[in-house]
Amino acid sequence: MERQKIEIIETMRNNVSIFRLKGRLDSNTSQEFENKIFGAIQSGSRSMIIDFKTLDYISSAGLRVILKAAKELKHSGGKILLCSMESYIREVFEIAGFDSFIPIFPTLDEAVNHF
Amino acid sequence: MSDDKVFFELTNRLSELEALHDNLKNFGQSVGLSRKAIFEINLVMEEIFTNIVTYAYDNDDEHRIGFFLSHEKGMMVIRIEDTGMSFNPLCARTPDLECALEDRKIGGLGVYLAKHFMDHIDYVRCGNKNILTLKKSVI
Repeated sequence: MERQKIEIIETMRNNVSIFRLKGRLDSNTSQEFENKIFGAIQSGSRSMIIDFKTLDYISSAGLRVILKAAKELKHSGGKILLCSMESYIREVFEIAGFDSFIPIFPTLDEAVNHF
Repeated sequence: MSDDKVFFELTNRLSELEALHDNLKNFGQSVGLSRKAIFEINLVMEEIFTNIVTYAYDNDDEHRIGFFLSHEKGMMVIRIEDTGMSFNPLCARTPDLECALEDRKIGGLGVYLAKHFMDHIDYVRCGNKNILTLKKSVI
């Protein structure tokens, strides 16, 4: 059976760290995501975009990591933006009220241009 | 005709989330659920399962958690049974969703999402079992 892991592809554009998520972000895979994000913050990254274009699934475990990263970045003068969400994933962010403090853009280009 | 009932068991390990998804997806597709409905039900089942795995047992032994899924007349019914400590997730506190980023807490969000995506949730403690029944209209 197909493995349902998470793949996190990190790239840089205009000094912004972009994390493209592929697969499923759940209680079992969120630790890997957290390690990657916080590794980047520790290395000095202050501008981040999480690209959801190829993410199939998220639960509160994934939201927890994004909240933690948003708090940490705000504390250190940085910023996190989200982009390219499927409508049903965006709905989870809206229900949780996260869209009130983390900007969500329709496309990666719009997110990059916002910095 | 596809079967409109299924039962499966998982052990109390987060790695079982893969099997949870596979079982739900196979069942959901066989009864014609939309991708969105499968996503929402998956999220709710994960939140409940993760709570059980994380909080229900005071030892590291292997425990079984039962899942009964049924679909009839546009209604999905999910029954989840575990033999962990007595716990009614409906009593969990609702998180403050309107506070500023700095004050925002993540606790309670899983149960809050579960309540949002389901039309009805019912909890009973029966003998040594927690039995949670969730219903969602999927028309």
